[in-house]
Amino acid sequence: MSDSQHEIIVCQGTGCVSGGAEQLYSLLQKELAELNLSDSVQVKGTGCHGFCQRGPLVVVEPEGLFYSKVGPDDIPDIARSFLPDGRPVDRLFYYDSTIGRTLPCYHDIPFYYKQQRLVLRNCGHINPESIDDYIESGGYQAIHKAVFEMTPEQIIDEVKQSGLRGLGGAGFSAGQKWEACYVEEADQKYVICNADEGDPGAFQDRSVLEGDPHSVLEGMIIAAWAVGASQGYVYVRAEYPLAVRRLKIAITQARERGFLGKGILGSGFDFDIEIFQGAGAFVCGESTALVLSIEGKRGLPKLSPRPRTTQYGLWGKPTVLNNVKTLANIPLIINHGSSWFASRGTEHSKGTAIFSLTGNVVNSGLVEVPMGTRLRDIIFDIGGGIPNGRAFKAVQTGGPSGGCLPAELLNLPVDFDSLTEAGSMMGSGGMVVMDQDTCMVDVARYFLDFTRRESCGQCIPCRVGTKQMFDILDHICRGQGRPEDIDLLEELGKSIAETSLCALGQSAPNPVLTTIRYFRDEYEAHIKEGYCPAGVCFFYQ
Amino acid sequence: MEKVKLIIDDLALEVDEGTSVLAAALQNDIYIPHLCYHPALEGRGACRLCIVEIDGSLATACRVEVEPGMVVRTKSPEIDQAIRPVVELLIANHHITCRGCPSSGKCQLQKLMAQLRIDRRRVRRLRVPDEELPLDTSPPCFDYDPNKCVLCGICVQTCEDLHGTSSLYFLNRGNETRIAFYGDESRCASCMECIKRCPVGVLMPKQTRSTD
Ligand SMILES: Cc1cc2nc3c(=O)[nH]c(=O)nc-3n(C[C@H](O)[C@H](O)[C@H](O)COP(=O)(O)O)c2cc1C
Ligand code: SF4
Ligand code: SF4
Ligand code: SF4
Ligand code: FES
Ligand code: FES
Repeated sequence: MSDSQHEIIVCQGTGCVSGGAEQLYSLLQKELAELNLSDSVQVKGTGCHGFCQRGPLVVVEPEGLFYSKVGPDDIPDIARSFLPDGRPVDRLFYYDSTIGRTLPCYHDIPFYYKQQRLVLRNCGHINPESIDDYIESGGYQAIHKAVFEMTPEQIIDEVKQSGLRGLGGAGFSAGQKWEACYVEEADQKYVICNADEGDPGAFQDRSVLEGDPHSVLEGMIIAAWAVGASQGYVYVRAEYPLAVRRLKIAITQARERGFLGKGILGSGFDFDIEIFQGAGAFVCGESTALVLSIEGKRGLPKLSPRPRTTQYGLWGKPTVLNNVKTLANIPLIINHGSSWFASRGTEHSKGTAIFSLTGNVVNSGLVEVPMGTRLRDIIFDIGGGIPNGRAFKAVQTGGPSGGCLPAELLNLPVDFDSLTEAGSMMGSGGMVVMDQDTCMVDVARYFLDFTRRESCGQCIPCRVGTKQMFDILDHICRGQGRPEDIDLLEELGKSIAETSLCALGQSAPNPVLTTIRYFRDEYEAHIKEGYCPAGVCFFYQ
Repeated sequence: MEKVKLIIDDLALEVDEGTSVLAAALQNDIYIPHLCYHPALEGRGACRLCIVEIDGSLATACRVEVEPGMVVRTKSPEIDQAIRPVVELLIANHHITCRGCPSSGKCQLQKLMAQLRIDRRRVRRLRVPDEELPLDTSPPCFDYDPNKCVLCGICVQTCEDLHGTSSLYFLNRGNETRIAFYGDESRCASCMECIKRCPVGVLMPKQTRSTD
């Protein structure tokens, strides 16, 4: 490799940083300086590339060379590769076990090239701590267009036309939500970004905030202009310190450039954003609980029926609450138009879906695909299939209260409605792959253990019901199941889903109901024959 | 006050404007299962038992105000399928020893069991808590039995309603949730309304316990 301008990207996302990427970054700068290469080679830190499993990652642009699992000892070689006679460090290239080949470039890796990254467009490419990087990649153009060329009505119309649905779980039309807030008369309105991300396996919201915080701010500013809000909050988990730090930097920079504050871009529009660090409980991510929590009260879902947050939200004022990913889509829709956005996806789910792919899968990480992509394509093409020659058994989508889907449904096109119909959900975007050695009763037990602990305890069906379902599943796993237990679980599950107050209780039975629906024989084997087909459960009578 | 006409279970009724569907039914001797409702308080919608069919869709009767021409059904196979397991769950989780219970005879849970003709065989399918929790005798004005509390919240809401802020609060979450007393004796006005309004025999005046 020779002298022309190069950029070395050292991933500074949470995953790679925990693998020592901050040290790699400074070592690399030092090495390059010693080799007198600092002028021709720039080192840049970015957010997560979504492939933390192979981290720490280093990417060399413009070639797109992709170095994985980089350690401090590799840094001198990477630096020397930029000397006139230097050669790429091929021992760090990614080896794809599914096709049995070494792939030097980013663009050749199936994990990446089969994805379509809209929300994650800038993650891993721009320096999240530099507003100029964001602007250079087309950022903050949408805010110009929105404020100077579009009326609030036109923006709301555009967002409605795009078909964008909320990516926080419920899949409610973003445009309709904005309109409902817009039509309210009030002296004060709020925009809140939900970055609570309580699902322990999901990290897409964190990655967007860490890798591209300005896109979320821009989405919020446009939302505020459209509905007439003057104050915004980002409700972010306190356990996400890096995301909080980058958000703070981004907000300060946006204020300096006049994108936030009084008279945005010289117009008469005022809007500012504050960060609120969340208390931790899973249920605080629920919209009404989140609002109460910002108000300084205990974060419990409001009792229902209740007025909509768009009418009576934070401090009783009309409020738009959207997820991180929903908001990050907004600048794209404003820049490229609703029909561009709506050209991908299925009839009723437009744009992309983002999953945190984990479990028994070769490539785990963040995956963004058009709505309607088949489960099989996500798990086998992008995820590389099941490791160690084992067979696929099930995939659980949507976080702790999503359902488990069997091999027969691998051709299912993934969108909001198809997942719900199959007994699961889009939810938080978690996707856990399970191989043949997984016991489905044990899996249901595991998830119910989570939901029963996270139930806020306000309403009877969720509080007592998740505990009861857990107890029954625990008994079955210990060989103490009773013949009537399967019917009982189904009966309880339907009732809890029907009567619970908030979506936590309403969806908590999903893992139980779907494992019974698709893997009933495993329950029967435990109860009637006294054995666990996957060999997971021990029976100590 | 303006009157509102509506139909509950084929009966044409007339009640005051602003009444909840649950109150309207109870005033007219139509029983709808409920535990977290008290006539002096705003409906909380926490117990989820007062689910009825209002104009074709299910809703909690204590949280919906009557409207002219409303058609309400309090009984249907769907309602029963939704509610019955919840009541059974509650009973399995409740330490039922009605004999000697201070609540017996005026207990809302007893009433609920009788009205729904709860089948003990169905309840026996459920797992029961393995341990009995000790009585909490620390509050200054009453003793509290966590084994029987249905966490309806009426005591908390009552204290807040009568005294501005509540000395009672929900401690913990999920199935570990309990009612606890905040602060010391000086915070309690000794009105004993929480004890009177508790729908089950959970809050007991200090003096009666010694005769147990
Ligand atoms: C128990 C529970 C937890 C939730 N957690 C989150 C969360 O962490 N992040 C989120 O965006 N939405 C979460 N939601 C969904 C929110 O209530 C709400 O629907 C969403 O934030 C709205 O944004 P959207 O329309 O952009 O999806 C949760 C819902 C429930 C019931
Ligand atoms: S469904 Fe569960 S989490 Fe939601 S309000 Fe009821 S007890 Fe709380
Ligand atoms: S509270 Fe009611 S149901 Fe419970 S033991 Fe006492 S009388 Fe029986
Ligand atoms: S003590 Fe009584 S009134 Fe208070 S929550 Fe428990 S059951 Fe309800
Ligand atoms: S943190 Fe580097 S790839 Fe995720
Ligand atoms: S009485 Fe209506 S929910 Fe409890």
